[in-house]
Order: sequence, then structure tokens, then C-alpha cells
Amino acid sequence: MNEITLTINGKQVKGKAGDTVLEICQANGIDMPTLCHLEGLSDVGACRMCVVEIEKERRPVPACTYPARDGLVVQTNTERLERYRRQILELIFTEHNHFCMFCEASGDCELQKLAYRYQMDNVRYPYTLPSLAVDSLSDYLVIDHNRCILCGRCIRACGELAASHTLDFSHRGWKTVVTADLEQPLGESSCLLCGACVQACPTGAIFGKLNLYKGREDECQQIHTVCPVCGVGCELNVLVKDNNLVKIEALSLAEPRGPLCRMGRFELLRETRPRVTSPMVRGKQGELKECSLDRAVEVIAGRLAKAKDGFAGMVSTRVPSETLSLFHRLIRKVIGSDSIDTLDGEGYRIIAEGVRQFQGNGRGLGIECPIEDILQADCIIVVGADPGKTNPIVCTLVRRAMLQKQAKLIVIDPSRDVFPLWTDLWLKPRAGSEGDLLIGLAKILIDKGLVEPVSAELIKSFSQYRMGEVVRTTGIEERGLELVAEMYRRAKHGVIIYGEGLLQTNDASAVTAILNLANMTGNQVGDRLRVISLKPRANSRGAWELGLAEGIKKDKPKGLYLLLADEPESEELLARLRGIGFLVVQASYHSPVTAMADVVLPSPIWAEREGKYVTMDGRVLELKQVLQPKDGLPQDQEVLKAISQKLGRKLT
Amino acid sequence: MLAKVKVASAWLDACGGCHMSFLDLDEALIDLANAIELTATPITDIKQFSPVDVGIIEGAVGNEHDEQVVKDLRANCKILMAWGDCACFGGIASMRNLFDTEKVLHRYYSTESTAKDSKVPSSEELPPLTKVRPINEVVKVDCYVPGCPPSPKAIHYALAELLQGRIPVVPSEIMRFD
Repeated sequence: MNEITLTINGKQVKGKAGDTVLEICQANGIDMPTLCHLEGLSDVGACRMCVVEIEKERRPVPACTYPARDGLVVQTNTERLERYRRQILELIFTEHNHFCMFCEASGDCELQKLAYRYQMDNVRYPYTLPSLAVDSLSDYLVIDHNRCILCGRCIRACGELAASHTLDFSHRGWKTVVTADLEQPLGESSCLLCGACVQACPTGAIFGKLNLYKGREDECQQIHTVCPVCGVGCELNVLVKDNNLVKIEALSLAEPRGPLCRMGRFELLRETRPRVTSPMVRGKQGELKECSLDRAVEVIAGRLAKAKDGFAGMVSTRVPSETLSLFHRLIRKVIGSDSIDTLDGEGYRIIAEGVRQFQGNGRGLGIECPIEDILQADCIIVVGADPGKTNPIVCTLVRRAMLQKQAKLIVIDPSRDVFPLWTDLWLKPRAGSEGDLLIGLAKILIDKGLVEPVSAELIKSFSQYRMGEVVRTTGIEERGLELVAEMYRRAKHGVIIYGEGLLQTNDASAVTAILNLANMTGNQVGDRLRVISLKPRANSRGAWELGLAEGIKKDKPKGLYLLLADEPESEELLARLRGIGFLVVQASYHSPVTAMADVVLPSPIWAEREGKYVTMDGRVLELKQVLQPKDGLPQDQEVLKAISQKLGRKLT
Repeated sequence: MLAKVKVASAWLDACGGCHMSFLDLDEALIDLANAIELTATPITDIKQFSPVDVGIIEGAVGNEHDEQVVKDLRANCKILMAWGDCACFGGIASMRNLFDTEKVLHRYYSTESTAKDSKVPSSEELPPLTKVRPINEVVKVDCYVPGCPPSPKAIHYALAELLQGRIPVVPSEIMRFD
């Protein structure tokens, strides 16, 4: 590190070469007003609020884009600079509609705060006040161009963090506006609804529809928690007022997981399913009737006493580890059944078997790399996965690697290109033959001697496969396979991402082939391979590692305890539940699943519960309770303990 | 006893909220009444101002009559103070600048009217609407109390400063635009 020394406002301060003057000011606690600067984004010097005087410079320069040098003499707060700053604010205020009294951002607005700071009690220039469009047709976002100060923070957040490049400036000079794609309405554009632009906007120009009129930041409690949706585990800052969710933001926008996605930032606020507000049991006429928790527990205990080993437990992996562990003990120890599974357990068993075949030991998911590793990639293979649907941040990281590291993207998917417009090469094997394709890739690398050294054992294990067979099964020419194998081999940092689609082929050898590919090409960091399996739920990994995904022995057990929590039901789940003799469903919301149940128990939603989540790459994060449970409903653990107690065993 | 400071106030293109906020000074009004004499207010119906020390204007300049009032008050006061976002910046009143005057009148008197056959009134005595402007686009203003409405605290601060012989600038901590 090359240390430099500057004089700022007569004081000697230190920084390192390459820093901007603004960075050095901020690192040294020197107050500096900014508007177009946002941590994590590149600086463009658009607003001019951070102008400083530098000795030998003829005129003030923006600190955010001025590279610091050893020996610079800087003034940040002269009378002239303060005058300029107020003047800049006045000019911004005259350009568009910045009247606060009917603006949703009033009170949370950076422009307004600066105007107060500079005591801007009047404006000396005539207002231009053009009549600009308000685009409110997007599902979650509104752009009011009249409130825009053209700082470009949304554009940089969209391009640099979300790597979507949907937003940009169009037109020039007075007519400049922020535009989605080629002047599309946002709702019809390439916008992914991640909402990074909302968090980046300093004024009321871009805002979330679901956050409107719910409260200002200073009226809210802010709670640091983790997203309860997918396995990525983005850290959230949740704003709450009067036990209502106001807004969900990224804890730090600049982090790789910071842009968030539509699921975490918006969809959690759009919940409309009716809550289960009381335990219910099926009455004599077959209808579900509300009852006390005691009564419901009694009914469950009565049935369990008769049917011990035919009973199974199934649980959503949106449930935190502490509750999962209690559920595990209730099913295994108290009820005495070894039939237990998670809703997503099938996929895990294939991953686990694939890893076992690869190494023959129990390292399991620990062999995978953190998802941040994608950012360094120069070649990415996405096979049998649709991260845009299941884990959108993974998509964001892939796009970032493509934009920032010029990574090549290869999609292997039988039905569609999951990265339309982005993919460099899309291989379309016959459905179900993805595993053969991966084996083919590994075989090409071995047979052509493109990788070395390879163990004799591995060569032997691949000698059972024939390339002709692979070509016939997958329907892909050998030349295509060679091209992909070559691209991946030449990469310095190749990452393979696989998911649901691949696991549905029920082919553990596909997982083994992926691990072999990464291993033989040296794509590893420490003892981890650059391989990522997408986990569908916030605590999938936590549940799997706790041993809850062992599987249900019989297809239709005599009885089933389903802890569904707030997970949405699926057709597949409904099919599995049909024909089960006695069904207990513990759920947050009424659904076709609760309608099938013999006993319904209430469950808190994500915002009402707490506990640990293990992200898909193994980080342990704390889900915090942000709301008081509706109507004083019990926590999952209280219900599980009550059942256990009724059965004569105390769980702690 | 010292002579009272003479004050006149006017209400132009605005909702009247600034004067309401002034009345919200509550008990502080009693002390103020000992120090100032209001010679004209929006409810006195005085057509022309007599000379005063302080002139106060709520609202923007939205028609030719407003412009006359502003110029008359300016000519008759030593210090002119603007109250509220409309007077200081144009505020909510200036939102009609986004549209044609014709369209604004039509919308007001026809499309949204509940009265039958209502139409835009026309009379030589009605002042024509102009572009809505903050006061300082028409005459010189000496001090400003922004806010929609300004808080009683900010109004009190400004008046107290004037009584102390200083031109007030509302401090950042109590300045509000909404």
C-alpha cells in the first residue's frame, strides 16, 4: 500500500494512493455533503455537491472523482464552496418538481435534508417545471421523472450491482431522463424488479408501490435479519411500524447479495393468503372446526398412541434450525418413527449420493464454494437450473461476472435458455440426458488428455462410457461437446451451477460428473470445488445437515405430520398428501393443504419467528423476529412441545 | 411603553394554512399582541395597505390581483416576509404551471363540478390567471419561513428575531418543507 499525505482544511491526513479526495475525507471523518455518490457504486461527479478547492486548481473540483495525490492542499468548507453548494441545490430544485408536501419521500429524502442543511429558504432562479411522465405500470416500482435529479444512482445500481443495465439516461441536456431499455415502460422492459434502484434513489423519483404511505424511516424500527425465501441468504434491513412491515431493504446494497431480488424486497410484502388463526380439528360431519390447542393436541396424541411406526414427519425448510431440531426429536424420539423428510429432501439425497460417489466420504455440501466465487469466474456452466426463478441473486452474480470479468456463459438445459440474451452457448440435450452430457464432457477431457494428471481409477471409471452412446442419448454432436469441454478447460476460473432441473433427472452420476469436471480442471479453492448446487429454501442446507431429509419409507404413510409453516403449497405436494390416513398440518396460511388436514395447527410467518438459517453456501445467519405473532398465536416450538408433553416426553 | 411594531399580512394563492399555523402559536400570541399591531390581515378586507414595519405574505402570485397586492404591500413595508412553501418556492399552487390555464379552469369548473351546467365564469372584474410565481419572482423579499404549513415554532422564531431587530433565517433544525 502506497501511503500518501494530504492537507485538508489545514490538517494533515493520510490515505492511500488511488483513493479519491472524497474517500480520504470520509475515512478521516471530514464532513462532506454528497448526493450522486453512493457506497458501492462508481463515482461520476454528477451533482457537484462535494466540490472542493485544491491548491493550483483553477476552479473547484468534485472530491468524488478527484484522485488524491501526495501533498495536495484541499479546502472543503470555505465560504465560497458553501455558497456554491446552496446554489447547486437551488438549481436542482428549479429543474423539476421538488415540492415536498405531496412527495412520498418527504422526510426520507437526501435532497430535502441537504436543503435544510444549507437553509435553502428560497430559490433565486425561475422554475422550469416541465411536465414529465410518471410510469406506474410496473408490478412493484414507480418512476416519477418529475422528482428525478438525474444523479444516476439508479442507473449505476442497475448496471453495476444488479448487472441488469435496464436503466440508462436518454436524450441530452435539459431533456435528459432516466429510461428503461429503449424508452420502454418499466413494466414491459428488461427490469427484473430487484428494487436496487429504489434503495439507491436519493429522492422520491423511484419508489416501491408496496411501501407507499406506510411510514417514514424515522418512525420505523429497523431490524437486521435474513431473507426467508431462498437459500442464498441475503441480509435484510426490515422497517417496521406499529407491528406492520413498511419496507424491506438490503442491509448493505454494495454487498454481492445486496441488490436483493423481487422475492425478498417486494413479494414478502404482498402476502394475501388468509392466516390460520386457531387450531382446528375435523368434526363428526367432516368439517374443520376451531378448537383450543389442548384439544388439537389431544386428538393428535390419541391417534399417535395407536400408529407409531406408520407415522411420518415432513417439514418445510423455511423453518429455522432450532425448530427443525425439535421437530426431528419429536418424530424420531418421541413418536419413534424413522420416516422423516423435508419438502425438498429428494434433491438433497441425489446431491449427497453424487458427492459420496465422488469422494466416498461424508464431506457432503461442504465441498461447494461460496456463491461470491461466481464474481471471479471467467467461464460459467449452468446446468439444469433456473436461478432466475429459484435464486435470482445467483443470476445477478453470473451477469456481473459476464460484464466485469468477461465470463463466458454456457447453459445446458433441455427446454429453454434460462439466460436469454446473455448465453454464449446453449446446449439442448434431450430431457433427462443432462447427466450423460456431463459424463461426456468429462470423458472428452480424459480421453483427449486435456487434463492431467488423472488417476487411473478415474480413467477406469469413465472407460465404461462410449462417446457414441453419449451423442445418441443427448442428441448433441461430439463437436458441440468438445467445444464446451474446451471452453471450460481453458477457463482460469470455471464455475458450474446446477439445480432443480438436473436433480429431477434423479441421476446422482450427473452430480458426480460435475464434481469430477471441476476437480480434474483444477477448479478448486482450498478444499472446495467451484461447484454450486442451488438450494430452494432459506434453510434447506440447515435442514439437510441436521439429517431431516432421510426420506419417507412408505409412499403413503398411515399418518403424516406436516410442518408447512408459510411455504406455499405445490401441486406435487398435494398429490403426495392424497390418501394419507391421518394428516396433521401446521401452517401459517389456509390452503388446499390445510383443507385436506384432519388437524390444523397455527404457525407463525417468517416475520414472527426467529432462529438460525444455514445459507446454501454454509453461512449461519440469524432470522430475527420482526413482528409480534398475530393474535398472540403460539410459536412452532410451543406447539411441538405441547404434543410431546401429551405423549409423555418433555422436549427442551 | 415602546411603540408597537406595525404588521400587515396578506393571503394570496394558497390554502390559508400558514395563517392557521400562526394562530397555533396559542399562548405566545398574547405576548406577541403586546409587541405588534396587526393593521391588516386576510379577514380585515382592507383594500390598500397603510405603511407598516413588516409585511407578511402567504401564498404565491397566481393572478394579476395577487401581483397588485404584493407590489402594494412591498411599497408599504420596510421588511417583507414570505410565509410557506407557496410564497417561498411556488409550492403546491405552482403545480398548475404544468398545465394550460384553460385546462385548469375547465377541469375546475366543468369536469369535476357537481353543479349543473356550470361553466368557467367570465367577468371583466375577475383577474386573469397568470403563471404561478413565488413572491421573489415579483418583488424583493427580505426573509422567508418555508413549510407547508410553516410550523408555529418557525413562525415564532422569525417574528421573535424581527422584534429583536434581526433578519431571520430559519435554522436547519426547525426548517421543514412539508
